[in-house]
Amino acid sequence: MAVYMVSQAQARQLRPKMTAGLIFVAGIAVVLLGQLVLNMILTQDAYHLRSLKLEKRDLTTQVQILQEEVDSLASPQNLADAANRLGMVANPASVLLDIENDKVFGKPRPASAANAAVASANLVANAAMGTVSDFSEATVASAEVSESVETEKPAASGLVLEQGLIPASPTR
Amino acid sequence: MGKHGSLSRRLGAFALIMVVMVLGLGIRLVDYQVVRAEQIREESFKSRSITQTLPALRGQIRDSSGQVLARTVFRYDVNAAPKNVGSIFKTVDGVRTERTVEQIVLELAPLVGLTPEELTARLAGDGEYSNLAKKVDAETYNAIRELGIPWIYFDPFADRLYPNGAVAGNVLGFVGSDGVPLAGLERQYNTCLAGIDGQETFERSAEGVRIPTSNVTTQPTQNGGTLNLSIDANLQFFAQQVLADTVNDLGAQWASAVVVEVETGRLLAAAEAPSVDPNDPAASDASDRGSKIFQAAFEPGSIMKALTTAMVLDTKTADAFDKVKAPDYMKLDFAGGWIKDSFGHEPYNLTLGGVLRFSSNTGMSNFGVKIDKETRHNYLQKFGFGSVSPLRFEGESSGILHDYKDWDKMTNYATTYGQGISVTGIQMAYAYQAMANDGLRLDPILVENCVSDDGTVLYQPKQNSTRVVSKETANLNINLMEKVVEFGGVGQNAGIDGYRVAGKTGTAQIKDGSGYGSQFAISFYGVAPAENPKFVVGVTIYKAVGVSNSLQATFPFKAIMQQALKSYRVPPSTSKSPDLPSGKYGEVETRS
Repeated sequence: MAVYMVSQAQARQLRPKMTAGLIFVAGIAVVLLGQLVLNMILTQDAYHLRSLKLEKRDLTTQVQILQEEVDSLASPQNLADAANRLGMVANPASVLLDIENDKVFGKPRPASAANAAVASANLVANAAMGTVSDFSEATVASAEVSESVETEKPAASGLVLEQGLIPASPTR
Repeated sequence: MGKHGSLSRRLGAFALIMVVMVLGLGIRLVDYQVVRAEQIREESFKSRSITQTLPALRGQIRDSSGQVLARTVFRYDVNAAPKNVGSIFKTVDGVRTERTVEQIVLELAPLVGLTPEELTARLAGDGEYSNLAKKVDAETYNAIRELGIPWIYFDPFADRLYPNGAVAGNVLGFVGSDGVPLAGLERQYNTCLAGIDGQETFERSAEGVRIPTSNVTTQPTQNGGTLNLSIDANLQFFAQQVLADTVNDLGAQWASAVVVEVETGRLLAAAEAPSVDPNDPAASDASDRGSKIFQAAFEPGSIMKALTTAMVLDTKTADAFDKVKAPDYMKLDFAGGWIKDSFGHEPYNLTLGGVLRFSSNTGMSNFGVKIDKETRHNYLQKFGFGSVSPLRFEGESSGILHDYKDWDKMTNYATTYGQGISVTGIQMAYAYQAMANDGLRLDPILVENCVSDDGTVLYQPKQNSTRVVSKETANLNINLMEKVVEFGGVGQNAGIDGYRVAGKTGTAQIKDGSGYGSQFAISFYGVAPAENPKFVVGVTIYKAVGVSNSLQATFPFKAIMQQALKSYRVPPSTSKSPDLPSGKYGEVETRS
């Protein structure tokens, strides 16, 4: 270890510069802080992303549930059965109107169950049919009577009546 | 100097220790960073990283209007880890509540379709795995998840759902529980429907959260394409309803109906009964899980006569006014050979129209055998018999059309009225399509195309056409076939108010061992409107109990044709069928 003799002026020159040190330390602090913030944001986003993904999964499941319900209600099996319960009969006689020439093609004839070509009720299997339209002549009649009365039945035979509308189809 | 000496000694020792430590660290560093670097990096990556297969979703099958006939949905197996089974504690607002296993079991049991006792039994023990329910739907899955039971977990998997059930089920085919297609279009077009699984590798933290900056190597998932069919689901459903009704009423083994759009060759309906519900194929007999329209060949009987008359006209062997003798029983020019008509009658003198209208076997063969065997065989081939259709449906039958050189003396006669040859429903329907389409037979279209998510067409069939007979022959022949519906005893029942309908009845005995038994395949194939045919409808009913004429086939034909005309808004006919002779003695008949 050696000891040197220096003048005061030289000593002052040799003293480390306060500002340089401060800038250096502040620089490091800023960089570290920036990194910290960046990391926090990224991590936060990762958690946010995860929660959004979970939400997406839930919503996808929800969409699937609703899609299956719509599928089932829209299936021809359900429509045939529902129409049949309402007493509807397919009319095989087709009558077409030609608007341009004011012409009627075919003879209009009332539909009757006796001359219907095919049984109205569904005969075609569908194991995927879960939700079915729950209306019949009776329920439609009761819907008219119980207007503005909100009825809720147990889910098994569930039927929610909305004001003055055809009964909404229940879920399962 | 003593003080200085001890200071520098201590400094020396400190420096030495520092050097040793730095060296030690350095060696370790080199060991980790250079020598074992690769291995360590790999190990660490393995422990953090996770590779997931991203299963490709199987594409949809849709009908001509976009109605979904098959879609992919998620189903869930519900499992429990019995060793973790216990009460659930929850603290809400500082109040700690307990749900005991007994309470949970009572809530869970109905959701997994078990009795509480059964469920308790499955939760017993200290295993890691116990299956509680298989293939529950999303609704049940959500309901179970809402119970918040930590020892229940789910295995989701993709499954196939057929929203319209058995509508077109026999054509669609179905998929096994392992996702492997087992039959029908599902199997035939699997390459397009299946898609390609993707893969994804990423790193994750201990909590299972993906590390944001981690490398992700992904092989993108390519979902399956959408298969668009020419089938009209509504018409298909209607036809299946009619056939189900028919089969029930007649106690028939099966019935099939085909609807073809004449001008395009598109198959609008391929209906059969019994049908298979692809959601639950096990509910149907194994023999009913395919499509008889493609796979079952039968001797067509008299529906073939309308094709033989076309051959006679096309070869100019006879015209619509030429007559032949048509007794009800006729000995042939070889020992033991005879032909008879289905009903006893005085000897007629029939034109081609008369042969069709009375469905006379003797008259038909007297016209038919004037054409040599080879020519008739060639016509039959051009009509599409003896080979599978270009659709190449799974297990499609080619029917049987023997080489004309192998036709024996009886077959020479019998082929003119549809015996000694076997055909499929699809072949016969397109033979009629040729007649309805001015003599030009179009390849059947069942699959319009297969399109990927981004709209790229992955598959589109090529449609060829075959000139079978001339336009004049085809149109005249259709006019002759109208006489069946105008005046025929059975054929009249196929008439539709307001429309000109042309068609032919068929009652074919079914071979029973070496001879013909007492059971029949009855058919009605026809086109409408006759003046500008839009649809071919062909109905076949196989082995109806106690039914020996084709009357019962006219009702489903009429119902389905009427429905097709109605739903496609075909205006009724404004013209009348031309006067052509069809009477017992070759006279023009008039409606009384």
